[in-house]
Amino acid sequence: MNINTPIEEREFKIVGKSVKRDDVLEKVTGEAEYTGDVKLAGMLHGKIKRAAIAHARIKSIDVSKALAYPGVKAVLTHENVPRVLHYGSPHPRSASCTKDQYILDDKVRFWGEGVAAVAAISEEIADEALDLIEVEYEALPAVFEPEDAALPGAPLIHDVGPGGNLVLDPVRVNRGDVEAGFAQADFILEGTFSGGRPHPAYMEPNVCIADWDGSNKLTFWTSTQTSFMVRGILAEVLGLPLTKVRVLVDHMGGGFGAKQDCFQHEFLCALLAKETRRPVKMEFTRHETFVAGRARHPCKVWLKQGFKNDGTLVARDMKLVYDSGAYGSHGPGVTIVGTTAATSLYRCENVRLEGRCVYTNTPINGAFRGYGVVQSYYALDIQMDEAAERLGMDPADLKLKNVVRAGDIAPSGHPIVGHGLEICLQHGIDVLDWKSLRNRDRTPDPKRPHIRKGWGIGCEMHGSSAYPGIKEQGNATVKVNEDGTVTLLTGAAGLGTGAHTALAQIVAEELGVRFEDVGVIHGDTDVVPWDIGAFASHTTYLVGTAAKMAATKVRASVLERAAMKLQVKADELDLSEGKIFVTAEPGRFMSVAEAMGPSRGIPAANIVANGTYEPTKSYSFAAHFTEVHVDTETGIVEVKRVVPVHDIGRVIHPIAAQGQIEGGIQQGIGHTLTEDYVIDKKTGRSLNAGLVDYKMPLSMDMPDIETIILEAAPDPGGPWGAKGVGEDPIIAIGPSIANAIYDAIGVRFHHYPITPEDILKALREKGA
Amino acid sequence: MRYIRPSSLEDAVGLLANASGKAAILAGGSDLLVRMKGGFIEPDVIIDIKAIDALGRIIENDDGFVIGAAVPCAVLGENTALRNAWPGVVEGARLIGSKQVQGRCTIVGNLCNASPAADSVPALVAAGARALVRGPAGSRTIAVETIPVGPGKTSLAPGEIIEAILLDKRQRHSGDAYQRFTPRTEMDIAVVSAAVNLTLNDQGVVEKARVALGAAAPTVLLVEEAADILVGSRVDDGALERLAEACSAACRPIDDKRGTVEFRKKVAGVLAKRVALTAYQRAGQK
Repeated sequence: MNINTPIEEREFKIVGKSVKRDDVLEKVTGEAEYTGDVKLAGMLHGKIKRAAIAHARIKSIDVSKALAYPGVKAVLTHENVPRVLHYGSPHPRSASCTKDQYILDDKVRFWGEGVAAVAAISEEIADEALDLIEVEYEALPAVFEPEDAALPGAPLIHDVGPGGNLVLDPVRVNRGDVEAGFAQADFILEGTFSGGRPHPAYMEPNVCIADWDGSNKLTFWTSTQTSFMVRGILAEVLGLPLTKVRVLVDHMGGGFGAKQDCFQHEFLCALLAKETRRPVKMEFTRHETFVAGRARHPCKVWLKQGFKNDGTLVARDMKLVYDSGAYGSHGPGVTIVGTTAATSLYRCENVRLEGRCVYTNTPINGAFRGYGVVQSYYALDIQMDEAAERLGMDPADLKLKNVVRAGDIAPSGHPIVGHGLEICLQHGIDVLDWKSLRNRDRTPDPKRPHIRKGWGIGCEMHGSSAYPGIKEQGNATVKVNEDGTVTLLTGAAGLGTGAHTALAQIVAEELGVRFEDVGVIHGDTDVVPWDIGAFASHTTYLVGTAAKMAATKVRASVLERAAMKLQVKADELDLSEGKIFVTAEPGRFMSVAEAMGPSRGIPAANIVANGTYEPTKSYSFAAHFTEVHVDTETGIVEVKRVVPVHDIGRVIHPIAAQGQIEGGIQQGIGHTLTEDYVIDKKTGRSLNAGLVDYKMPLSMDMPDIETIILEAAPDPGGPWGAKGVGEDPIIAIGPSIANAIYDAIGVRFHHYPITPEDILKALREKGA
Repeated sequence: MRYIRPSSLEDAVGLLANASGKAAILAGGSDLLVRMKGGFIEPDVIIDIKAIDALGRIIENDDGFVIGAAVPCAVLGENTALRNAWPGVVEGARLIGSKQVQGRCTIVGNLCNASPAADSVPALVAAGARALVRGPAGSRTIAVETIPVGPGKTSLAPGEIIEAILLDKRQRHSGDAYQRFTPRTEMDIAVVSAAVNLTLNDQGVVEKARVALGAAAPTVLLVEEAADILVGSRVDDGALERLAEACSAACRPIDDKRGTVEFRKKVAGVLAKRVALTAYQRAGQK
């Protein structure tokens, strides 16, 4: 079902307030338990032997020395693990992912791929044993760039899929008549764009612990965004019923989308534990989070658009090629979402899009905040600036003229209900006095003539669910306890976003109890209702609505119970701040505890309700206004100030929403200026798989961010109109920086990251 | 692996000289422990010098400053006299790693790690700092630039240990400065760096100059031809341009993932100009 009723207007008591998050005390005191903190009696440590070759057939693998090494309890290779072709991502049967992986194969497809696993009594021994495993490879020709992989006769990385190293058949979207559109155009812009390989670099490295009990049941702790999906795929691959797999995840140190794959080490950990009959822990090193984690798909974009002299966009022709790395993971989903996103943002009736996703012998790219859209909107938004320049228009005016509006068909294929981009842009223009900014001096400091200042705008829109790629379902169970407190059971993971706090706020608001009286139980697949996972900016929108629905039901039951005790009809009662009172006679009241509790001859009430919600999707919007300072002598770009204006519908927890926006901006600054996971194009070896040479901006690099959140376009599908916010900020910041750099120094960049070397080289060429 | 914490320098030198296998000296450990954990080295003996009182002190005497080998970089910045006399040396030391790392790391460790990109070394070289070396054969004092001989390699003889770094008493009208280029502002490794140390006469003309470049060659470069350009000048625009050219020309960097030859050469010159100007301003204030 989809909720399409008007949004209820009410005075909020808890929603919209930055209540104290339920997890902060635990986290700042170090009490919060993460997967890596779990220690079980007799626990072994697992490590993975990784290939130092990018494409090869394993001729032989000799584990005898490793097995004989004191302290080693088990060694697994492709010869003794189940050979089950499985999805890389645990969203089986969705359009998002592809079935191309084995737990271990006799083939290596990227440098760093696991070829064997060891369990030993300590991490050190396991590590040492890895060196004792002797692997003989037959090297195969390798390809490291999608262009090379797509050439006829290129070495094939997989036997499955449509062939030609394609992960899926090309994604094609056609609307209107592109050729007719170009024929009407007064001018045409054409350009190629490219994006690097930024890595999510979550704080908590991937980690899991597997423990089998005497009934052959697997208990599996893992840092995942998708615990039920992990349960499902583990059960499928290991041949177990769901009752025999229990997945646990409490706190997480981030995921940013990448922790929604089911990783090779997770299967291996479960198998090592099974083999040894002892609990096994596997924890990535930081190096492994790069080589065996998931990064954003590098992308090449060709974009051609036709414009009228009044700024009207009449045709858009776009081709995108995403580099999947050695496995499909989320390549299909990313390609579909990233490609179809280009139907929108700036209105155009005649659109022809083609998205491809290609295997290469490089580490796997997967789901990551911005999911294919970062790449496509970077190109769209920069070319929009170029069009403005060609027209002699202020880019703000051109963007305002063309941004998506009410009734336009969204990338998902349905008309947008709440549309807020126009108002975000206009609001930013007004508060910054954009027109006067455009006219200011670019080198205002005569003592530092080498510093040039510029401002740029980046726009974005992003859906608050994975629909239509995945028809989603959100679930919640709400129980009212006999002391009047309330327990919410949810499968939604807490990546660190504050999602559980927002869900508790929604339940407290709807039910009419205090926020402090709602407890949240999460992260145990044996206990909480099924959950699709925390991704696609959807937890508040999807699970929030399910929680609200469950709260609506228990509220009615609580009022029924109170009505019996107060000897009135339930519809004569109201419930607020934990107090049930007769609406017409507020002096007659009882607490929820009194209603719920036992009295003579009446046992305590058992009130439980479920909410299930299956939405389509809403869209959130943002316009980022960014000031950069470019040092024309060293090429360093400093992002000085960002004014992000977001429409996310109803705000549940303002500080948490602001935190999402600031964090996304910081991450996006890194991706645009300094971060790129570099693979050697001769060997496939990782060149900077670690935080010394993968340059994330740190706190000292953070600009002033003046977040503005508008509740301009609430979507009736979310709780009181709430929409997503998780992914939006990282999409808009990139083009805003690239456009600001142009404003500062008059040089256009069509790629990211834009490095100091790029800046100096471009300035030199421009001067010459 | 043995860990020993001697309480005297004599004991430390003796332990080092008599160590049967590979020995490593532990002060802050910010390089040693990383290298051990990374599997790059596996010493048989670790000699922790932090319990040797004399090595944990900064002493100001008639000749200048004696900075003990175990003094953390953060402590350099807390010493007002040192900061006033040698601001460039202190700013180099306080760019290493992060605040937390500076609480542990030492300039002697930074020097002996022998990385061409070491942040504290260019300013020490520009300052004309000397190292007091103690070994089985006794003590000697040598210029700091003679200690690193290539990436990860020093000229120290087996059993030798640096006891302290010596900085001269500051002359009037003197100033020094250090800057590096990094893609971000902290927790980073210099792509290229520059230090300049100047002494002016009463008319504000440069009398003495030393110019050093980091990450521009296998070891920190002392660029005498660049210093010669500054001597006799008032660090005017013309001198700065020639200084930048001389520094760019003197660089012998490598292409690597942190920067290209071309970029390093260009930015070495830019940074040299900027630090020369800062050093000149600082010299004028005294």
